[in-house]
Amino acid sequence: MADPIHHETTHATGAIHEAVHEVVQHAAEHHEAHELPNWITLLNDHFDTGWTHFLHQWENVIFSGAIACLISLVAIRAAKKDTLIPMGIRNFVEVLFEAIEAFVTGILGPHGTKHAPFLGTLFFYVLLQNWLGLVPFMKSPTSAWSTTVAIALVTMVYVQITGIREQGVWHYLKHLAGNPQNIFGIILIPLMLVINLILELGAVPFSLSLRLFANISSEDRLLLNFAQLTLGSPFYIGFFFQLFGNMLAIIFSLVQAFVFMLLSTVYISLVLPHEDHEHEAETAPAH
Amino acid sequence: MDFFKQNIIPGEVIVQLLAFLIVFWALRKMAWGPILSALQERRDQIKKEFDRIETAKKEIETLKAEYAVHLQKIDDEARSKLQEAVDEGRRIAREIQDGARKESEQTFQKAKENLEVEFAKARLELRREIADLAINVSARILKEEMSDTKKQEAKVLGIIEELEKAR
Repeated sequence: MADPIHHETTHATGAIHEAVHEVVQHAAEHHEAHELPNWITLLNDHFDTGWTHFLHQWENVIFSGAIACLISLVAIRAAKKDTLIPMGIRNFVEVLFEAIEAFVTGILGPHGTKHAPFLGTLFFYVLLQNWLGLVPFMKSPTSAWSTTVAIALVTMVYVQITGIREQGVWHYLKHLAGNPQNIFGIILIPLMLVINLILELGAVPFSLSLRLFANISSEDRLLLNFAQLTLGSPFYIGFFFQLFGNMLAIIFSLVQAFVFMLLSTVYISLVLPHEDHEHEAETAPAH
Repeated sequence: MDFFKQNIIPGEVIVQLLAFLIVFWALRKMAWGPILSALQERRDQIKKEFDRIETAKKEIETLKAEYAVHLQKIDDEARSKLQEAVDEGRRIAREIQDGARKESEQTFQKAKENLEVEFAKARLELRREIADLAINVSARILKEEMSDTKKQEAKVLGIIEELEKAR
């Protein structure tokens, strides 16, 4: 793959082209060349010493941390400007938060407001991490499974805690045991328990994390391949494909973040008490 | 299994987990909580303001109706007062007219009486003057024609008789 690209490049001139080509080629030759290079891999390639190795090892954490800081800074700064008529950044954040709240309460009902902070944070955190891969010399931390597993595990634990809190321990355990109604139900308890535990504690975080990771990492591969195509094509015709690929990546990142939040919301709604129980809870002096 | 080992790095997972938990906790405490409660507050406030506007509108409506009734009343009063004033004016005018007519009649009556008195006086005067004249005339006649006494006597008697007749 590197050879025809190199062949094409000899015809083209320009320092920028050379530099970019070198980077891309390097990435292609690199042992994990499935993404566009970021500044940490560039540093690592250039210096190749202990601290760059360290940075490279923790690059996902570094980029995640950057996104975390960005979100926190923007949101907390906005929250501090509490006026009756919102302006600027506050207005922007309020619009986003209100949209999330409306979405969450649309699925979970009016009691869902208290889950909006978790689901909203999840959404923005995942979305910005997905989009970070589109910024030159940055990387999507969500293209690594470790990152998505961490977020999915938090989601799973949050969902289970919500289940215990909303249903009570007894109902929660009954739910895990498959709601036994008769003797067959009681006989089937061990089986149901195992199935439910595997489903809720294993399958939920597994599917959530794998979906996000697989989508974003393949998206990054797509971006890399389009970049290579651009450099390899005559007159850089591939650039249009690259633009198209970028737009797709923007949309897919949004969709993936949304799907992550949507599924988390649905998981929460599944562990919430059913309608008739909810009415009881409403009439009684509730939690 | 190798795929898992290659892709899921436990240390990284733990750090990422902590990172997300910290972000979540911080945002919930410092951003979501205040902003969502502020939004709710604003919603409540807007609703309250609208309710207040609605009640104020209704109040204004009732006030308007009240004012209309008041204005109507004032209008009626004014009209009735005006009517009264006009009636009073007419009454006064009639009184004045009557008074004037009566006075003029009185004056006329008095003038007439005066005239009659004057007339009577004038007659009296005239009679006296005539008497004087008659005396003068008779005196002159007496002076002039004492000679023919008998004739004279007849003449005077004739005159007196005529006078008596004329009376």
